[in-house]
Amino acid sequence: MAKTVLVVDDSPTMRQMVAFTLTSAGYQVVEAGNGKEAVGKVNGGAKPDLVVTDLNMPEMDGITLIKEIRKMPALKFTPILMLTTEASDDKKKAGQAAGATGWIVKPFNPEQMMAVIKKVLPG
Amino acid sequence: MATQELTSKDSNQQIGSTTDGSQFLTFQLGDELYGVDILRVQEIKGYTAVTRIPNTPAHIKGVLNLRGTIVPIVELRTKFGMPTIEYTMFTVIVVVVVKEKIMGLVVDAVSDVLDIDKKDIQPAPQFGAQVDVSFLNGIGKAGDKLVALLDMDKLLTDGDMHEAEKAAA
Amino acid sequence: MSTDLSHFKDAFFEESQEHLTTIEEGLLQLEQRPGDIDLLNRIFRGAHSIKGNSGMFGFSAVSQFTHKMESVLDQLRSSQMVVTVDITDLLLQSLDCLKTLIDCARTGASPDEAQVEALGARLDACQGGTATGQQRTGSTASLHAQAPDMHRYTITWMPPEYLFQRGLDPVQFIKELGGLGTVTRLTLDAGRLPALAELNPELCYLGWTLNLDTAKDLTVIEAVFDFVREDSTLTIVDNPVETHTSAVASEGTKPLGEILVETGVVSQSQLNQALSQQKKVGEILVEQKVATPEQITEALKKQSEIAAPTKKAETPSIRVDTVKIDRLINLVGELVITQSMLSDLGSRFEMSQLPVLLERVAQLERNTREIQERVMGIRMVPIGNAFSRFPRLVRDLSGKAGKKIQLILSGEETELDKTVIESIGDPLTHLVRNSADHGLEPPDERLAAGKPEQGIIRLNAFHEGGSICITVEDDGRGLNREKILAKGVKQGLIAESDKLSDEQIWMLIFKPGFSTAEKVTDVSGRGVGMDVVKRNIEGLGGTVSIKTVTGKGTTFTLKLPLTLAIIEGMTVRVGQDTYIVPLLSILESIQPKREMLKTIVGKGELVNVRGTYLPLMRLYDVFQLEPELSDPTKAILLILETEGERVAVMVDEILGQQQVVIKSMEQNFRKIEGVAGATILGDGTVGFILDVRGLLNIARQGTAKAA
Repeated sequence: MAKTVLVVDDSPTMRQMVAFTLTSAGYQVVEAGNGKEAVGKVNGGAKPDLVVTDLNMPEMDGITLIKEIRKMPALKFTPILMLTTEASDDKKKAGQAAGATGWIVKPFNPEQMMAVIKKVLPG
Repeated sequence: MATQELTSKDSNQQIGSTTDGSQFLTFQLGDELYGVDILRVQEIKGYTAVTRIPNTPAHIKGVLNLRGTIVPIVELRTKFGMPTIEYTMFTVIVVVVVKEKIMGLVVDAVSDVLDIDKKDIQPAPQFGAQVDVSFLNGIGKAGDKLVALLDMDKLLTDGDMHEAEKAAA
Repeated sequence: MSTDLSHFKDAFFEESQEHLTTIEEGLLQLEQRPGDIDLLNRIFRGAHSIKGNSGMFGFSAVSQFTHKMESVLDQLRSSQMVVTVDITDLLLQSLDCLKTLIDCARTGASPDEAQVEALGARLDACQGGTATGQQRTGSTASLHAQAPDMHRYTITWMPPEYLFQRGLDPVQFIKELGGLGTVTRLTLDAGRLPALAELNPELCYLGWTLNLDTAKDLTVIEAVFDFVREDSTLTIVDNPVETHTSAVASEGTKPLGEILVETGVVSQSQLNQALSQQKKVGEILVEQKVATPEQITEALKKQSEIAAPTKKAETPSIRVDTVKIDRLINLVGELVITQSMLSDLGSRFEMSQLPVLLERVAQLERNTREIQERVMGIRMVPIGNAFSRFPRLVRDLSGKAGKKIQLILSGEETELDKTVIESIGDPLTHLVRNSADHGLEPPDERLAAGKPEQGIIRLNAFHEGGSICITVEDDGRGLNREKILAKGVKQGLIAESDKLSDEQIWMLIFKPGFSTAEKVTDVSGRGVGMDVVKRNIEGLGGTVSIKTVTGKGTTFTLKLPLTLAIIEGMTVRVGQDTYIVPLLSILESIQPKREMLKTIVGKGELVNVRGTYLPLMRLYDVFQLEPELSDPTKAILLILETEGERVAVMVDEILGQQQVVIKSMEQNFRKIEGVAGATILGDGTVGFILDVRGLLNIARQGTAKAA
C-alpha cells in the first residue's frame, strides 16, 4: 500500500510542488495549510507515515505542530521532516528538540527532497 | 432529424488505409458533385431553422446553436450564384472546421465519401463549372465521377465571413 | 527520477502577488500600529514564502533580495529594531523593487541591477552592521570531487537514546550506508542495555560498528548521520584502499593552456597574450572567404535572438475556495439524480404521470439555475483585491501633493467577476488620483474654508440590482461649473450659446483632451485619463456618473455588470426575429402618440419625449427585417441611453425580461455593427443582443449600408 505523507505548508505553491513530487513518486499525499489544519487532518483520521512541515505558518507554526504530533500515541514514532529556509542551526535544534526527525533545506529540487525522504521513511 | 457524426479519429484511420491520396466527403448542389477534405468535416446535421444575421449578404443564411456554440451557416448555392431551391428532407448542413473556426454549409444532399488519388486531381478549369473557380482546389476524378474540390481556407477567409483575417492577409 | 516542477511557476507568480499585497497592506498598517507583532509576523511570512518559493524555481535575484528584506523584518519582529517612517519607506521601496524583480522573473527581462543593489545595500545597512547576507553555497564535497578512490570506513555509532522518539529508525541508517557501498562487517554493541525491569521500550540502547567499502567521500558518509550527529557518539575511520583505477588522470579535461602553465612550459602572462590573439570563428570564416560579413552579422543576430528570453504568455488562472467547488459538486450530484429520474419516467411514460413529469422538469430547472449561479460564482472574487492598492497610492499621493488625505475603504467584501476586477483597476486608480490632485484642496485652503485639514477620499462598493456600484468620493472643492464651461468652449467641445444641464457639463470632463487643472502635475492633469476612464468602464458594459456640490465634494459612481458573461436583457420582437436589449441601457418604453412624431428632412424621424427630441430608429430599417408593424403609434419605442446619448428604437413587441448568457459572434464569424453578441434563447435558437453604442453609430451615419 502506498505510504501517506502529510504535507503542511502555508504557501500553496510550495505545498503543490511537494505534493506533486511525492505523488509522482507513488506516495499518497494529505495537505494542510498550517499546523492547526494538520492536527485537524490527523484527528480526522489521516494516518501519515511521514510528516513534511514548514516552520513559519499562521495559526500554528511548525515547531508547535511537531510537539503536538509527538503527543499523539499513533504518531509518536512517525518521521517528521521540517522544511526550512534557515540554514541556521537554531531552527534545526529547536525543531529537533520538539521531536523533528530531520530537515529539508529550501530551496531544494525534487531529487534532493526524495533523497531525504528515503533516508527516514522505510521503503 | 438524424445526425451522422464523423469523428476525425475515424477518418484518420480510413486515411491510413489509402496512402497516396485523400478522402473527400462529396455532396450535391444541383447536378454537380462537390467535395471537401474529410478531415475538415466535423459533422453532418439535418437542416434546422437558423437566425438571420442583420446586414449580411444573402448567402450567409444566419447562425445556429450547435451545442452552445454560435455557428454561421453559409448557403453554398447562393454563394456560388446558383438558383435557390426549396429545402427537402435531404437538405443538410455540413459542419466544417477551418483554422479553428466552425461553419456550416447548406447543401442539397450528401453523397459518398470518396478516395481520390493525388494523380487523379487536376487544376480547376477556367470555365465549365458554374462555380467561381477561385474557391476550388481542383477537379478530382473518382471512377466516372467528377468532383469539384472546395478550397475551405479560401471559403472561410472570404471577406463576408471574417473581416479581420482579410485585413491581416 | 526527474520531476519537472516548472509548470508550478504560474502558481508561484500568482501566489507571490498575494504575498506582495499582504506585505504592502501590512507595511501601511504598520505605520499606525508599529508594535503589532501579529502584523509583523504576517509581513514576515509573506516575504519568507516568496523567498522560499523563488529559490525553488531558481529565481535567485528574487530570493536574495527578499532575504535582505526578510532580515530587516526579522529584526523588527524580534524587537531588535524599531519601526520608523524611514524603515517603512525603505521597505516599501524595496517592495516595489521586489515586484519588479518578480515581474522580470516572469517575463525574463533584466532588472535595474544598480537599483536592486542600492536598495539591497540600504537594507543591509539599516540592520546596524549585523547584516547577514549569507547565502548557502553548494556543498564543498561536490566542488572538490576526488578521483574515485576506494575507502574502507570503520564506523562506530552509538545513537542517542531518544532516537525512536524523533521518528528515526536505526535500521534505516544501516540500509542507507549499505546503499553507498558494501557493508563487510556488522557488530552490535549492547553494552548500554539496562536490566529488563529498567528497560524503556521507547528508548534506543543499542549501538553498531560496521565496515563499509565504498568509493564515496567521507563527507557523504557523514551526511548519513546529519540528523543525529549532535547527540550520537560517532567515529568514522577512513582507511584508503589503493586501487589502480584511482591513478587515472583527470587532466585530459583541462584546457591545454592551463596544463602548459602548470608544467612550467609557459607563464600565465604568455598564455593570456596568446589567448588574446585568438580570433573569433566569424572573423576566421570571413578571412577565409567562406562567409560574408553580412552573413556572420545575420547569424550573430539570430544567436542573440535565441539567447534572448522569450516572453511567455500568461495563462490566467483563478483560485477558488474549495467550499464553492464542494457545493458545485453536490449540485451536479443532484442534477444527475434528477436526470436519472427523468429518463426513468420517460422510459415508461403515461399521460397520467404528467404532474410528476412537470414536477421533475421544475426540479431540473431549479438545479440548472443553481448550477449556473454557482458556476458564475466561481469567477466572483471580492473587490477588496482591487482596493488593496489604494492605501499605498494615497500615501504616496499625499506626500507628493503636500496634502493630508485619509482613505476610507468600505464594501471590500463585495464580489464581482474576476475579469471585471482586473479591468477596473486602472480606471479606479485614475479617479482616486484625480480626487487627490484636483478634488481635495491643500491644507491651508481647507482650513480657510472651515474644513478639517485632512481631506477624505472614500472608496465604496455595493450591489444594486444586477449591478455593482463603486463610488469614489472626496470632500474637496467640488467641480467648478464656470471653469468647465469656459474650458469646453475654448476646446471647441461646446458652443457658448449651448444650454447645458449640470449633468451634461460634468460629463464634459470625460471628453478626450479635456483638463481643467491649472498646473500640470506629476499626478494627473495632463488631459489624458478621464476619457480613458469612461471608455474603459463603458467597454465593460458599465456607466460613470458624477455628483458634485461646490465646496462639499465630488462623487464618481461607476455602475458595472456583475459579470461580463451574463446580462439582464429585455427580449423584443421585430417580425419573426427576436432581439435582446441590455436592461441597463433601457430608460423606458413608450407607445408614442401621433403628435409626438416629427420628420425632419435629411435628419430622419424624431420623437418628442417630454420636451426632448430623440432620433427614432426603426430596428427593421437598420437591420433590414420584415416588421409586423410599420406605424410607430402602434409599435413600441424603447428609449435607450448610452454615454449620455439617447435614441428611441422601434420594435413590434416586448416579449419579456430574462438573464442571457453572452456568446461571442467573433469566435466563428465576425463583428456585426449594432450587435454586441449572441445568446441562446429558451427554444434553443440564437438571438442577438443589441449594441446600443453601435446603433447610435449607425444612426449617425444615416442608414446602415445595405449589403
